[in-house]
Formats: sequence, structure tokens, C-alpha cells
Amino acid sequence: MSIPGKPDADRWEELQITRLLFGLSLEEQAEYDEFAQKMPAETSEFFEQVVASIDVAWSDPKSMPLPEHLRETIRLRALKELTPQASLPGDKPTVASVVTVRSSRLPWVITAACMALTVLTIASTRPIGPVEEVSRDAAQLRAELISAAKDLVRVKWSDGPTPISGAEGDVVWSPSQQQGYMRFRGLAVNVPTVQQYQLWIFDKNQSDKTPIDGGVFDIISDQEVIIPIQAKLRVQEAYLFAITIEKPGGVVVSSRERLPLVATVN
Amino acid sequence: MQVPILPRVARGETNAIDECLDRYGGLIWSLACRLSPSTSDAEDAVQEIFVDLWRNADRFREDLGSEVTFVSILARRRLIDRQRKLRRNPEPQSIDETDVEYPTPIPSRQIELAEDGVRATACLEKLRQNEREVLELSIYHGLAQSRIAERTGVPLGTVKTLIRRALTQLRTCMQVGSRLHAEGGVQL
Repeated sequence: MSIPGKPDADRWEELQITRLLFGLSLEEQAEYDEFAQKMPAETSEFFEQVVASIDVAWSDPKSMPLPEHLRETIRLRALKELTPQASLPGDKPTVASVVTVRSSRLPWVITAACMALTVLTIASTRPIGPVEEVSRDAAQLRAELISAAKDLVRVKWSDGPTPISGAEGDVVWSPSQQQGYMRFRGLAVNVPTVQQYQLWIFDKNQSDKTPIDGGVFDIISDQEVIIPIQAKLRVQEAYLFAITIEKPGGVVVSSRERLPLVATVN
Repeated sequence: MQVPILPRVARGETNAIDECLDRYGGLIWSLACRLSPSTSDAEDAVQEIFVDLWRNADRFREDLGSEVTFVSILARRRLIDRQRKLRRNPEPQSIDETDVEYPTPIPSRQIELAEDGVRATACLEKLRQNEREVLELSIYHGLAQSRIAERTGVPLGTVKTLIRRALTQLRTCMQVGSRLHAEGGVQL
């Protein structure tokens, strides 16, 4: 990599500091992401370390102890949050790490299992929960769109450059109604705090460098899942739908490093 | 120097949760109170930070920096992110900056600080008054740049310059850059 020019270096520093102290706007975040790809990785950590050290130096933990009720809430939440979570492909644990999890996380695994059993027991005695209702609604709305929209585009998912084995499904999209749904089966369940899926819609009236953000979403089951499309801009003539895996909250500009599924409109 | 707790958290030792809360609860709570608009918001933020901490515990590398700095980095990321989201839906407010008091932070006692904190305290002493003031208002009190400009009577562009100059000097003083570079960066 060439040595960054001074204006670039100046702007990079400015963005880093703004990010640390004030937060970035969406435009600035896009610029930051772009810089982050071309600047040496270690430069993005310098100021963060400095500011964190000042935070430590100026903190007053002794005179501001964590309130007891909050402490207890966090303790309980820790047990809940630290349960083993499903991973996306590429994050599969090795045999060694599975062994480690089995042995060292045993107390939490047991706790989690007990909690899961409790939840299941409660769930089995209660009416159908809101998650199922939402899922059923999406399926119903999708069916209504398919029957009503005369200009419906319907394409199947196929493997992208970084495929997920066994994932299938389709996309339906109505240009006139600007509505659509994605259907998946076998797409890996994600951990929302680690990574999320994001849809990109490539439009013939839009540069392929800046596809339309179709929304960030989670897969909560390896059974059939239907996700409504939430296009951030008006889609005029879609020719490709693509799914990427991104950091939590999604990105403004995707690096497209992990692109498991595409659906091409013929 | 304290023995790190996060590797034990990452290994799933439940008693490490309590120790982690004992050691970092006050730090995170004080940060959250400073950088949150209300106590209830600070409480929500602290919960989110600890969840982040549990989930990222295995990323802590003792050879690349102190544990308290790692915790502080995670906390600030979350708090600034929450601030940013709140700014997207700002509530009407009328604040006359001249009426608001922003006390100067009192450094923690040296004996309680990790090495990074000690170095930061020493380096802060070397800054000019106006540089230190903008850092206090931004880092400690969490004020936006425009409010710092209003508060200090200094143009916005100058505020940005002062903050950047101060942090650059601190970076040099603390020799973070060279150390991190030599060790390959912070793994977060």
C-alpha cells in the first residue's frame, strides 16, 4: 500500500476523532469505512487508546459505585446472554474449541439448558407467541402481494461468491407497490450482536457501486423465514438482489467480502 | 498490576462475573452517567456495555494493552453510539451554555490507575489550558462540538483544531503509536 497523502491522513485523523468523541453521521461513517479499508489498520486504534486512557484517568469509580439493583440486573442478564449461540458459516468452532466449550462452559451450559427448559415449559402452556404471529403475518402479506401485484418480479436465490451450503429461497418484489419479501430456508442463524444480514438491491438506474440498501435482518430459524424488504430508496428497475453479512446494524457501503446469496432478475 | 478477569469470563467462570462487576462497575457507571442524558439512559447503557463485555471478553489481549483500557474502549464505543442515535431524534431543548457549570475532572489517585491511566494523567498536565479545556468538555462532559464552541466562545473550526492538536500531542506523549505499531495493534 502506498503512503497516504497528507490531505487523506488529515481527514482520516479528523474522522477518527469525530467518531470517538461525537459519533459520525451516516455520510461520515461511509467515508470512515472507505478510509478504514485503505489506511494501515493500526492507525485506527491510536486515538481510541489515548481517549480510553483519559477516560480511565478521569473516572471516579470509588465515589460512583454501580447501583445495587443495576448490578443484580446485569448479573442475571450475564447468565442469560452468555448462553452458547449459533454461528454463521466461517465462524464454525474447531474441534479444539468445541472441546473447550464443553468443558469450561459447563456451568453456564447447564444454567442455559435449565433456562431454556423453563422457557419451553412456559411456552408450551401459553398461546402462540408474538414471534410466530409476526412470521405468519409476513407469510400472509407475501401471499397477498403475489396474488395482487401484476408486475411482480420473482427470482430464486443462488449461490454468491461466498455461498452458504443448503441455503435456498426466493425474492418477490413489486415495482409499482415498492414492496417485496425475501424467503429463506437453510440460511444460517446469526447472532445479531456479532453480525447481521443485509440486502442490497441493484437498480438499472443506479451505479452498481451504490446499490440500494434493502434493510438489515436476522435469521432466527433454519426453517422457512420470510423477511419484508425495506428499501431505503425508490427502486425503479431491480436487476439483482444480493445478501451480504455485515457488522451489527449493517453498513452504508458494503465491502462485499461475505456475499452468500444473489438473485438475478432475467 | 491486577490479574485480568476477562480471560476467565471468556472461559465461562461464573464467579468472574462478580469480580468483573466489582472491578469495572464503578468505571463504567461513572462513564455512562457522564455521557448519558439521563439516569435511566445511563442504566440502559451500562447493561448494554456489560453485555458487550461478556461477548467480547475473548478478544482481550493482555500483551497489547491493559484490561481497564480495553473495557473503557468498549464502553465509550457503546456510549457514543447511543449518543449518535439520540441525536437523530433530538428533543427540543433550550440550554444557555453560560449558565451551565462544567467542573474540572479530578484525576483518579495514581495508586488506583493502570499504567495507561498514569501516563495519560502525566501527559494531560503538559497541554495548554485551552487544549485541556476542550478535551474536558468533549471527553469528560460529552458536549457536542457546537456546544463547546458556544461555551468557550471559540469558533467551531478552532475547537476542532484544538481537540485534534491536543489528542495528537497526547498520542505522541503516551507513545501509544510506536508501542501499538511494534506490537501489531489493538485487537478489538
